[in-house]
Amino acid sequence: MQLDLPSNRAEAWRWSDLSALPALAGEPKFAGTYPDFHQLPWLGDAPEGPRLVFVDGTLDADRSNPGPIRFGPVEARAEDHPLARLAGQQGWSLRLGPDHAPTGPVQIVHISTGAADHLPAEIALDTDAQASIVETYIGSGWTNRLTAIRLAKSARLMLSRRLIGDSGFVSLTDRAELGQAASLISVTLAAGGTDTRLDGRIDLQGEEGFAEAGGTLLARGRQRHDANLVLRHSAAHGMSRQVWRSVADDKATCSVAARVEVARAAQKTDGEQSLRGLLLQRSATINAKPELEIFADDVKCAHGATVGEIDRNALFYLASRGVPVEEAKALLTQAFVADAIDRIGEEAVREAFHADAMAWFGFPLPLGEEGARREAVGR
Amino acid sequence: MLQINNLHAEVDGKQILNGLSLEVKAGEVHAIMGPNGAGKSTLGYVLGGRPGYEVTKGSVLFRPNTVRAELVEALPSSSNTEEGKDSPSTSSGRTDGWVDLLDLDPDERAAAGLFLGFQYPVEIPGVSNVQFLRTALNAQRRARGEAEISAGDFLRLSREQAGGLGLDMEMLKRPVNVGFSGGEKKRNEMVQMGILDPTFAVLDETDSGLDIDALRVVGEGINRIMRRPDKAVLLITHYQRLLDIVQPDVVHVLAAGRIVKTGGPELALELEREGYGAIAA
Repeated sequence: MQLDLPSNRAEAWRWSDLSALPALAGEPKFAGTYPDFHQLPWLGDAPEGPRLVFVDGTLDADRSNPGPIRFGPVEARAEDHPLARLAGQQGWSLRLGPDHAPTGPVQIVHISTGAADHLPAEIALDTDAQASIVETYIGSGWTNRLTAIRLAKSARLMLSRRLIGDSGFVSLTDRAELGQAASLISVTLAAGGTDTRLDGRIDLQGEEGFAEAGGTLLARGRQRHDANLVLRHSAAHGMSRQVWRSVADDKATCSVAARVEVARAAQKTDGEQSLRGLLLQRSATINAKPELEIFADDVKCAHGATVGEIDRNALFYLASRGVPVEEAKALLTQAFVADAIDRIGEEAVREAFHADAMAWFGFPLPLGEEGARREAVGR
Repeated sequence: MLQINNLHAEVDGKQILNGLSLEVKAGEVHAIMGPNGAGKSTLGYVLGGRPGYEVTKGSVLFRPNTVRAELVEALPSSSNTEEGKDSPSTSSGRTDGWVDLLDLDPDERAAAGLFLGFQYPVEIPGVSNVQFLRTALNAQRRARGEAEISAGDFLRLSREQAGGLGLDMEMLKRPVNVGFSGGEKKRNEMVQMGILDPTFAVLDETDSGLDIDALRVVGEGINRIMRRPDKAVLLITHYQRLLDIVQPDVVHVLAAGRIVKTGGPELALELEREGYGAIAA
């Protein structure tokens, strides 16, 4: 397949490196067997809910329990996005009627055994419906997704994604439209060995909408994570939060471009952006690009972008209490990313994401006091 | 327990310690007093192993109560001329339990039983006291080849130690020192000391920033945790007041990077009365 990919001369792609994608797409798929059902990274403590396994973009029906999720043509417009338009027309959809909610979180595991796979999805929640979706990406190829999200009045969606594949590339493009008083919280954790490109466009079309979009990007070696987000306030009294934490080691690069647009009609908008980066080595790179475009005159939009290093005083303080330097760095780095992960509402999901972050730092045990307290109660 | 010999150290190329020697035996409390700029805090940081504090000459020998055999084995044998039960022997430095403190990383010093109480305790946003202390205690235990403490035992231990210093357990669930008052930070240092249970504590101006009541609580905490026949304390302070509660066995006057006078508790009173100028001259 001939790939028509953007070059980094285009502003929206300046920090991306897609040069590996054609070769990756041309590689053969892995011929062996993929992990057993029970070894898949399902959430241990979460209430039972629908579960789906996609292998190279195809549903593994034997290992899935789709619940209300359907398969077939989806309504997801890629517009002119060069990666999203590859996603195709056939995918999965979660359409919930008024007041409906699946029991437990919807867990979806995407396994890539190599080469490229593309899949579109549609999440459409009617009035007062609510859902929590947890997507986990593992494997080694190029996984490309387009997700269209439509939330009607007062619908609520919590979307948690973790990218913990060994290698390869994950590109996710989201298109979200929020009705009156609808709420979308999207949290992404990149804590594996893949390169990533995350694109999001969230439009708060109804009044009093709430959108939160953020995540934690962890990169080492020559890894590159690249997040691009546009949050548009089209109606009044909306609220939005963007909390991104980037950590880069070695020669890795993390880039976050986050933009807030406030239309003329969107008076009383309350927007906040916090883009923070932590360099574990001076050879690493962190790019942070907060953007505000405001046409209304009665709004509150705060934004902050910082890039720094680990606090040496804190490091010595921890060492003086007996914590070896690598463990101390992990603890301080975990603390740095914690507030982005803490945006996840459900404890089981939040703790699993914290554990994935700690595993990336090389310390598999969650050191959180919540865990300690649970242990204590269990005794 | 601790023997400092002819210690020279510099910070940013500037010589701060100029041949400092002193010896602390098990069961003793030593106070180090001296004017600003004498090198008191530098001594604390050099003992703790803070990066940037470079030892150019001299040695610091430490005999912890419990230390991994292989840790001692791995260290170069120390040589010393002093004799006595509590001093390193000249013949075989590696078998009698003495280690060269300066050869250890800061975390290894802590695992060997050293505790450094900070004059300005560091704030660590995002890490709770409980998480910080449990991580530290377990790291020390691992380094000593001991089993990790269970969550239940740890909570009991921290409740007991926080209670002893008049700190609410709720404060221990908050991020380390963030939003703590000066006095709360110093109490928290003592709670940490109580939980980590060191053999030797270097307390750098633990009395600064404390009101009279807090001073008593902290002083009594030091006595309760460290006044034992198998432990020792080096108390760095400006003022006599803490020494009324934690009574020192030996008082040293530090000036221009070396000990200029050593005496009993009466020396502290003399300093209070006559000032450093007369004594250090």
